[in-house]
Amino acid sequence: MAKFTSMAYSSADEMIFGTAKKPVKYGRDFEVGGGMVYPEIVNHPRPGSEETKKSLMREYEKMTNDSLERAVTLGFPGLQIELEHVWQMTKNPDWGGDIAGQTVRQQQDWYQKYGIKSAVRATIADNRKPEQENIRDCKSLELALKTFELSAKNGADNLSIESVGGKEISDYSIVRQDIRGVLFGIGVLGSRDVEFLWKQIVEIANKYGATPGGETNCAQANVAMFMAGGMLDKSVPHTFAAVTRAIGAARTLTAYEMGAKGPTKDCGYEDPIIKAITGIPIATEGKTCACAHADLQGNLIMAVTDLWSNEAVEYHDMFGGTTAAVFTEILGYDVALMNSAIALGKAKDLQEMMIYSDLYRDVHSFVVAPAQAYEIGKAIVTNNTDYYSRARAGAICAAKLILGDPKMLLSKFETEVLQKTLRELESFPDNEGDFIEQCAAIYTKAVPGFKLANYGL
Amino acid sequence: MATAEVFVRYDLKKELAEKKVAAGKDELLQKVMDAVVNGDEDNIVAYVNEALTVHDPLVVIREGLVKAMDEVSRLWDEGIYYLPQTIISSDTMLAGLEECEKKMGHAVEKKGVVVTHTAEGDIHDLGQQIVNALLRANGFEVIDLGKDVPVDDVVNAVKQYKPAMLTGTALMTTTMTAFNKIANRLRRDGIEVPFVCGGGAVSLEYVTSFDLGIWGKEAQQAPPMASDAVAGVSWTKMREKYNS
Repeated sequence: MAKFTSMAYSSADEMIFGTAKKPVKYGRDFEVGGGMVYPEIVNHPRPGSEETKKSLMREYEKMTNDSLERAVTLGFPGLQIELEHVWQMTKNPDWGGDIAGQTVRQQQDWYQKYGIKSAVRATIADNRKPEQENIRDCKSLELALKTFELSAKNGADNLSIESVGGKEISDYSIVRQDIRGVLFGIGVLGSRDVEFLWKQIVEIANKYGATPGGETNCAQANVAMFMAGGMLDKSVPHTFAAVTRAIGAARTLTAYEMGAKGPTKDCGYEDPIIKAITGIPIATEGKTCACAHADLQGNLIMAVTDLWSNEAVEYHDMFGGTTAAVFTEILGYDVALMNSAIALGKAKDLQEMMIYSDLYRDVHSFVVAPAQAYEIGKAIVTNNTDYYSRARAGAICAAKLILGDPKMLLSKFETEVLQKTLRELESFPDNEGDFIEQCAAIYTKAVPGFKLANYGL
Repeated sequence: MATAEVFVRYDLKKELAEKKVAAGKDELLQKVMDAVVNGDEDNIVAYVNEALTVHDPLVVIREGLVKAMDEVSRLWDEGIYYLPQTIISSDTMLAGLEECEKKMGHAVEKKGVVVTHTAEGDIHDLGQQIVNALLRANGFEVIDLGKDVPVDDVVNAVKQYKPAMLTGTALMTTTMTAFNKIANRLRRDGIEVPFVCGGGAVSLEYVTSFDLGIWGKEAQQAPPMASDAVAGVSWTKMREKYNS
């Protein structure tokens, strides 16, 4: 496995939405990162529709049709549809596989009639339970791999996952503001699990001619970010969550070292860092995912996007049509604005506005802004001797960037949390083996069911 | 880059008061209290054992550990403490409690039993873990069924443990549908346990659409809800109190 030791871009300023150093082509005349931004709609079935395969397939058929129809109605050039599996679609591999096949067929019909470019991303559910089973040899893994296989066989263009390795440690640590556990759970264990999984996903994708797509640290860094919440929340400190994001970036990078080609997964808020390092096109979500959750970088996270998403919207009627149609429209017009800016030579102006909107709104916006993402990426690749060292370096860099910018205002409490976090990070051993030994002793005792063997250690 | 009024940092507008620990009865109990309030897991056992040389275990529990957790709850309610401070204080308090129980030779009588679980198909159990920690720190016995728990297992656990309250956590709308199945099964068997459901996409509208269901908006509601359930407040009254 070749590790990234240099940056794909010469500077943050070189990064822009719609263009990636390594564009990806698949689907029906669909290219991501090749000079245009496209929308990626994620529709979610209503509760109850998952009761049977037939009812779930019908639900997906309607949602997909509504999205494609609205895209053509409004003249959008292309659309990616993500099938983000509800657990029943992975627990029953034929459900996920058949829904992928059905969606591809629908896209082919619309492509033949109208020429709308399109692609299907199948995101398989990772239902493994690290503290309860051997996650390298369990039924959930077997079903996930089978679902990947059937989805690819039935025509899914892009295979993706939101994997959960190390979550038993990161969950324990995030709510205790324990940066050691976060670094261990995400940076050390999570990276090893991503390596383990993506070797197999890439093999399956190659077997069927699908594109090994993207990962995300949704199960860990997003937990910290969503718990940190907005300006009224007093849950996880925002500065702690922002440092966690940098660790998540080092972990998610592993998928692209293993052969994933992108675009990345939309909910990976670490993706600007990934793009800076790898040059792979990224999917992001911001204001358009208000249907699923609130975040503090609604505009900024568009700054270097290549595929603009809504995270997930449950299928319902609205005054303007179904949510599948309405959110396709919202995404499509956002994308049209970005593509207009590209066509008019104003892309950097629009990007500046996106960044200006949110840069100092919150520390999490700050660390995923292009300039900061680039610096964190540099810290990761210049310390890429092992998973631990690069994750730790990214985290230290993020903390120092926040503390070093006087415009990034912090409360006294948040400042103290960040200073303490930085002190702890700097106090950890330099050697990965020493760190693992230290953590093994602590977390084997603290987290029931935790097993090093799940991570090949 | 200049900053116009594009956004307002409401989080910086209010500087919060410094924490203040309610005074303990004496120096030894004060040390126990300070350790819990400050989440000093490294020293709590030593401080509790020191206090136990002078005080009865029940006094250390009541006047030290419990009083300190009351203070932690206040600090959290007022926004001075964040969740991690509260969780670490809870861990510290439970470590201290274990020492007292060792001295007594038996466990302290719990306020009541609560069965908790995360819905079938859902591996996102962090919310449940927080609920567990808060309930335990507040003196309840928690039967933790874990994550991805089949409907049958939840129903059987309720029959076995006869809890004052049942909780269910789910992130996705397509996993929360297990909750009304559980409620229907329990009702069919004549079991009227308050069933508090919360997490992610779980909404008030959904939870109050089936009998027994009470919507839990935040984890910190779990201890007062459990207290009501133990006191015999019916699920209909609890729903009225928390969901209307």
